[in-house]
Order: sequence, then structure tokens, then C-alpha cells
Amino acid sequence: MKYLNTAWSIALHSLRENYKNRFFGLFVVFAGVLIYASLLAGVMAVDEEARVITDLGLALMELITLVYALLAAAAAITNEIRTKTIYLVFSRPVPRPAYLAGKAAGLYAAFALMLGVMALIHLSLLYFRGFVLPPLYLTAVIFIWCKLLIITSVALFVSLFATSTVSTVAITGILWTLGHFTSEAKFLITKSSGAAALVLKAVAYVIPNFQLFNARDIGAAAPPAAPPGFLAGYLLLWLVVPYLFSLLLFRKKEF
Amino acid sequence: MVGSRENIVSFSGVTKVYRRPGLFRKVLVPALGGLNLELKRGEIAGLLGLNGAGKTTIMKLMTGLLFPDAGTVSVFGLPPSDVASKKRIGFLPELPYFYPYSTAAEALMYYAGLSGLKGPAARARVDAVIEKVGLKPHASKNAAEFSKGMMQRLGVAQAIVHDPELLILDEPVSGLDPLAIHEIRELISQLNGEGKTVFLSSHSISELEKITDRVFILVQGRLANTVARAEWENTQGGLEEIFVRTVK
Amino acid sequence: MKRALYLVLPFAAALALAGPWAFLTYARPFPPADKIGTVRQSAVEDAVALALGVRRLAADLWFIRLIQYYGTPELDERDNSGGEKDDHGHGQPGHHCEMENFGEGKYPDFLPVARHILALDPYFTNAGLYAAGSLAFNMSRPEEAISLLNGALIYSPKEWKYVTLLAAIGYSKAKDPAKVSELITPLIMEPDCPVMIRQLAAFLNKRLGNYSTAYKIYKTILETTKDRFYIDNARKEMEKLEKMKVFEY
Repeated sequence: MKYLNTAWSIALHSLRENYKNRFFGLFVVFAGVLIYASLLAGVMAVDEEARVITDLGLALMELITLVYALLAAAAAITNEIRTKTIYLVFSRPVPRPAYLAGKAAGLYAAFALMLGVMALIHLSLLYFRGFVLPPLYLTAVIFIWCKLLIITSVALFVSLFATSTVSTVAITGILWTLGHFTSEAKFLITKSSGAAALVLKAVAYVIPNFQLFNARDIGAAAPPAAPPGFLAGYLLLWLVVPYLFSLLLFRKKEF
Repeated sequence: MVGSRENIVSFSGVTKVYRRPGLFRKVLVPALGGLNLELKRGEIAGLLGLNGAGKTTIMKLMTGLLFPDAGTVSVFGLPPSDVASKKRIGFLPELPYFYPYSTAAEALMYYAGLSGLKGPAARARVDAVIEKVGLKPHASKNAAEFSKGMMQRLGVAQAIVHDPELLILDEPVSGLDPLAIHEIRELISQLNGEGKTVFLSSHSISELEKITDRVFILVQGRLANTVARAEWENTQGGLEEIFVRTVK
Repeated sequence: MKRALYLVLPFAAALALAGPWAFLTYARPFPPADKIGTVRQSAVEDAVALALGVRRLAADLWFIRLIQYYGTPELDERDNSGGEKDDHGHGQPGHHCEMENFGEGKYPDFLPVARHILALDPYFTNAGLYAAGSLAFNMSRPEEAISLLNGALIYSPKEWKYVTLLAAIGYSKAKDPAKVSELITPLIMEPDCPVMIRQLAAFLNKRLGNYSTAYKIYKTILETTKDRFYIDNARKEMEKLEKMKVFEY
């Protein structure tokens, strides 16, 4: 129970750190401007305006939140070490597992807040243009958040051994694109042989499969990528395993 | 008498070596070598040494931020990494930093929460501590607006907010003006008067002379001398003379 | 350390199994990447779309390009630039317009771009209907329309609108406008039916003497589309039908 209380305190603090950060607001404003600018693309699409505004808005929300997520996750712990704020935490009875869990949870909550605000801006544009709530909109936004949870947990882990914030962002950015691309590139594996095929298979198996959570792209007409039970389990594993590996690195880290 | 009190902190044959990344292999930088040191309950003890002598290393070992490579460190009879021992200590690092968008009250509530204080009890304690360190007029300001002195006061506040038995203060008066130094000194004396043990490091010999019961002199990671108040008061030149003699 | 490993290993093992299982087991809802042909140097753009997981958006952007392309003058109009241009009564020569005045469309990229859109997002039904309808009924290229729809049905086998349009194209080839009109009626009832299908339905009903139905469809076009060409054409046709005074409107 005490672990949970401590993790909760750290999560709240992490959330507060994020939404009070001026870059959080800047990112949301930037997203809002771009979402409203997507009106131009919608007008060009004539009778498919609703679809284009929806798709462009969701894609912008995902990409802008992703950029913020990578930067925030890469700096979450390293900044505290650099500014020595972490001394004030670990000189207190704060278990390291609770600290890591709280930091991660705070980031997850911050991204949920960011996505929520952006979604409201996006829906206001759709309403302003006279369109109804698109089918599976809420699912798409929630699944965007799920993808961000996975990449954030990986980014936190990478930040513990990467040499800089930039390298953490670069590594996790590459993982993000690979995670979407490898499931698309299954045909590459069938066409490869020998060592190349093994390497491609290893990459495809190990990289998080973001296509499973790409409800934004699949839409209402296509069949879902996987059953909800599997998706929930897969998401949980991708949150827990990087967390546990982070713990292995962090438990004996000196400050 | 200091000598008759129980030991609450004990270093026994402690060695610490830093491993810095080098070109092809790690570079080993020895920080402490075979250190033996005890802190007694209720005393104000000082740590004096040149830059790089190992003062901050000792404090970090006491707070569980570092782990010894050899020997044992015990705080209230427990390893420093044990959460039970951490509940009883308050640490002020050198040049403390706080999240710029937090107010003093918000920061203290956070750290109070991490130390196990909750709800109205935490709120009351935070208000009392803010008053005690003289930050009441600035309680609602963001930390980004704080001067160095105010930041140091906030640092002291977070160290005492959970009413610890042992205070570990790394350069508590570093960079402060004389009035602020005086006030911090008064606060430390007051806290000691309440029964708290204080362990502080400083470059300022005169500060240590004014406030401490005894001083540990560190030279290149080794405890070169332990000087009690009576000794430097009876020495011409005081603690400075003893320090210079020890270091040379 | 051992205790920590005992905790990590089972979860890591579960993830090590879940990853390959997901990769090997679950059918991707989209055509594989090697089925997306390159059109107008689209390779890099397509790769970026796949890498960022924005196939739908890429399909949308290509659809915008398609309707803009289709909005430019036909190749034969540009070829006869010295001659008189026939604007077919709505001020824009060569654009898709009603059947009786339309020349042969020479939009050579139309089919490849349409195929590209459906390869990126085979569930973009309206794009499929729009493209197939334009090919079959505006550009008189029914075979291309049929091949486009058959390709789309591979990934959307239950999409009845594709099947319906295929049947309509079949009857159009057999010169049976009444049957075509009957078949596409369910399509035009759908709220998001492409305007050119509605346009076709109105035209066929007018030709068959169903003026009241034709008028209602033109009115629906006015209410639902934002395409200026169809709006202007619908207004013009409604005026003509009102002047004919052959039904109550």
C-alpha cells in the first residue's frame, strides 16, 4: 500500500511537471493550429471532407504527441539526475520500483491529457464544419494512447543506458517506425533467405507491433487487427517488461 | 558529553572508487579509502576538507545515493539504502534544485508526501516549516523566481519537513549573504536544541568553529584528524591552524 | 540479482512468445506493401506512410490528387488548344459532366492513381465507387472500371456497393439504362454516396422519362455535395425540368 501511495505521489508530481511545462502548452497550441489548418485539405477533398479532416487530425495528434512523448520520456529521469533533484527523492524512503512506476504513470497521464485536449480541439472543428462524431473515434484516440504507452515505457528503459537524450529519442523514434513498418514488410521476410531472413525475423519478432493498435488507420470498415483480450495482454507485457528491465538497471544505480 | 552518546552513524573500513568512462576502459578514481567514522546522537559534527577530499561522497553514502565498494555504512543500525533508516534522515545537497514551476508549498508537500506525511498533517507541517525557515512571504512564488538564499532555505525546509532525527547538510551556507548565513546557523542550532543530530560539510572554517561540537578533517579520501571543540578552542589559530597542519 | 531475474524472466519470455505469435498469426487488414505499385514517383511517400502507420491519410491525399487531376482539362482538349473548346454548358471544358455531352476522357493516370488509393486503403469505398463510376460512365472505360472494382473486392469481399456498381456497369455495357438505374438506386440512398453516382442516376432517370425522380436526385445533389461543378449542373438541370412542367415539384 505504501508503495502505491509513493508511486501515486510521484505520478501526480510527474503529471504536474508536464502540464505546467510551457512546451506542453506549446505543443497543444501547435497541434490546434495544424488541426484547424487541415480544414484546407478537407475543402480540397470536396465531399470527403469529413474523412480527410478526421484522418489528418488524428494523424497530427498522434505525431505531435509522439514527439512530446519521446522528449519527455527521454528526459524524465535523466533530467532529475542532471539537476540533482533525484537526491531529494532517494534520500527519502522511496523504493526505486515505486519511483519508476510513478514516473511512468505520470507520463502516461500527461499524454492522455494532451490527447484529450487535442481531441476536443479536433472535434470542435468537425462540429464547426457540421460533421458528426466519426465512427470508432474514441477507439482510435485510446489506441493512439496505447501506442504511446508502449513507446514511453521503452524510452524510459533506453534513457537509463543511453548516453544522451538525443540518442534515446533517436533510438525510440526508429523503433516507432520499425514497429509500424515490420508488420507491413512481412513480404520482405518471405523473399529473403539465410542470415538476412533471420535478422529480419528477429527484428519483426522483438520490435513492438504498433500496427496491432493502429485503429486510427484501420477505421470502421476493416476487421480489427487482433482480439481485444490479446491486445490488452500484449499492451500489458510491453509496459511490464521494459519496466522490469528498467528496474534491473536502476536498482543499483548511483547518483 | 558527546563521547557518552550512542553512535547513530558508523563507517567501518569504507572504500569508494568512482568508475568514469574512459576511451577503452573505465577510469578508476578513488574517493574514499578505508574510512572509519562515527556520528553520535545529538551532536553537531562538521566535515572539513579541500575540494575533492570526499565530503559529498561521505554524505551520499550515508543517504544511500552511493554504495560502498568495501566496508560497511550503518545509519541507525541499518544499511543506508533501507527505507526505515531513510525515514529518519533529512538531506540537503549542495546547491539544491527544485522544479521551476512548483511553488515552495507545492514542492514541500511533494517531499513531505514522499517522506510519509499525508493530508492535513502534511499541510500543517509544511506551513510550520515554511514559517520556520522564513519563506512565508514567498510561499506561493514559483521556485524559478527564488533567489539563491531562498532556494537554500527551501532546501533546508525539505530536509526538515518530515522531522528527521539526523540532518545531513552539504554546504548549507554556500553562496549566501552574511545575514542568511546567520539565520541558517541559528536554525541549525535551534534544530540541534530540539534533539536533532546535525552533520554538515563546509569550506568555511569559521562557520564550523561557530556551530559544531567536533570536526572531521578529510584529506584525499582518508580521515586525517578528528578535532573536538575543546581542542581548537585551546589552540592558537583555532581550527584553521589545525586544518592547515593536517592537510600539509 | 537472482530474485530480480526470477521476476523479469517469465514476463520477458511471455513477451518473446507474444511478439512472434502476433506477427505470424494475425492477418493484416491491408494489402501487403509489395502490392502497392509506384505511381508518380510515390515510392518514398508510400514508405513514409507505411512507416508512420498513416495509410488512410496517404489514401486521402492521393484521392485529393485524383479529383484535382480529374478537374483539369482532358488531354484531348489540351491537344486541340488552337480549336474551339466546348465547355458543355457549365464553363469548365473537359471536366466530368453529364453523359450526353462528354467526350472521351484521356486521363491516363486516372486508373493507376485510383488503384494506388485502394492499394493503400482498400476500405476507402467512396474512392472506389467514384473512380469506377467515373471510368465507366464518364470516360467510357468500363473494362478499367471493372478491373478496379474486382481488385477492390479482394480485400472488401463483402462490400455490396462494389458488387452493385459492377452489375450496373454490366448492364450499361448491355445498353440497358433502366436496369442500371434500378441497380444503382440503393447506392444513391446511402448518405455518403459519391456525387457522380447520384449524377448518373439522375441522368438515367431523366433519359427514361422519370422526371420527378430525376428532380429529387438533383435536389439531393444540391443538398449533399460541395463540388461546384455538380452543384451548377444540378441547378441547371432542375431549371430545365421546372420549365418542362411535366410533374409537380
